[in-house]
Amino acid sequence: MGNLIEKSLIELDIEATTKEEVILQLSKKINETGRLANFDAYLKSVIDREELTSTGIGFGIAIPHGKSDAVKESAVAFGKLKKGMNWEAIDDEDVTMVFLLAVPEGEGNEHLKILSKLSRKLIHDDFRKTLTEGSKEVITSLLEETLKIEN
Amino acid sequence: MKIVAVTACPSGVAHTYLAAESLEVAAKKLGVEIHVETQGSIGIENELSSNVIKTADAVILTNNIGIKNEERFQGKPVVRVSAGDCIKKSEVILKKLKEKLSR
Repeated sequence: MGNLIEKSLIELDIEATTKEEVILQLSKKINETGRLANFDAYLKSVIDREELTSTGIGFGIAIPHGKSDAVKESAVAFGKLKKGMNWEAIDDEDVTMVFLLAVPEGEGNEHLKILSKLSRKLIHDDFRKTLTEGSKEVITSLLEETLKIEN
Repeated sequence: MKIVAVTACPSGVAHTYLAAESLEVAAKKLGVEIHVETQGSIGIENELSSNVIKTADAVILTNNIGIKNEERFQGKPVVRVSAGDCIKKSEVILKKLKEKLSR
């Protein structure tokens, strides 16, 4: 089992005008790492989930996610938007940072545990501050550390 | 004040844990004792013991999907809030609860 995130899944200058565009761009990145079995089906699972309720969790962060058998191997892509955008977030704040999660159907616990750890981290101010202000190197190592498989 | 809470959400991947962490952070800030059980896709974690439930002043349950083993909380004051509200307004929720209980 490989790591959930890699350098190529981190993009700090996303230009987009809609959340669908952001999801598309980050999905493409995940697809390029060979972790998806079916790109279109994965994309649809994320959009469907998004339509259910917004994944804008507040604090300027959104975590769109798809759990689908179109995913071969779990992944997390992280993107920072050049311009904040409306994500219908629960606090109505514009979203500036997006974590796109890809999880296979029937996934074992290992990756889900790591994603739960990431979710918990996002609540903390200092973690979000580093994501907001850190350099690409700092952000990459923070996310690699957070999403590391421990065994 | 001692609170027990159970968080859950439809996909059980993110909001369950965001809500749990947010409640724990707010509780710490307000000096409230809290025990939060998560019912995510990993399964049940930090399961509340019957003793902890017995001595709790109130129960917070997220209302996005059904909570398992809800009968445990019979006879306790129960507050139902969305996982989203827990994430963003946990401090307000706990403060209000504190006010109500001190009445």
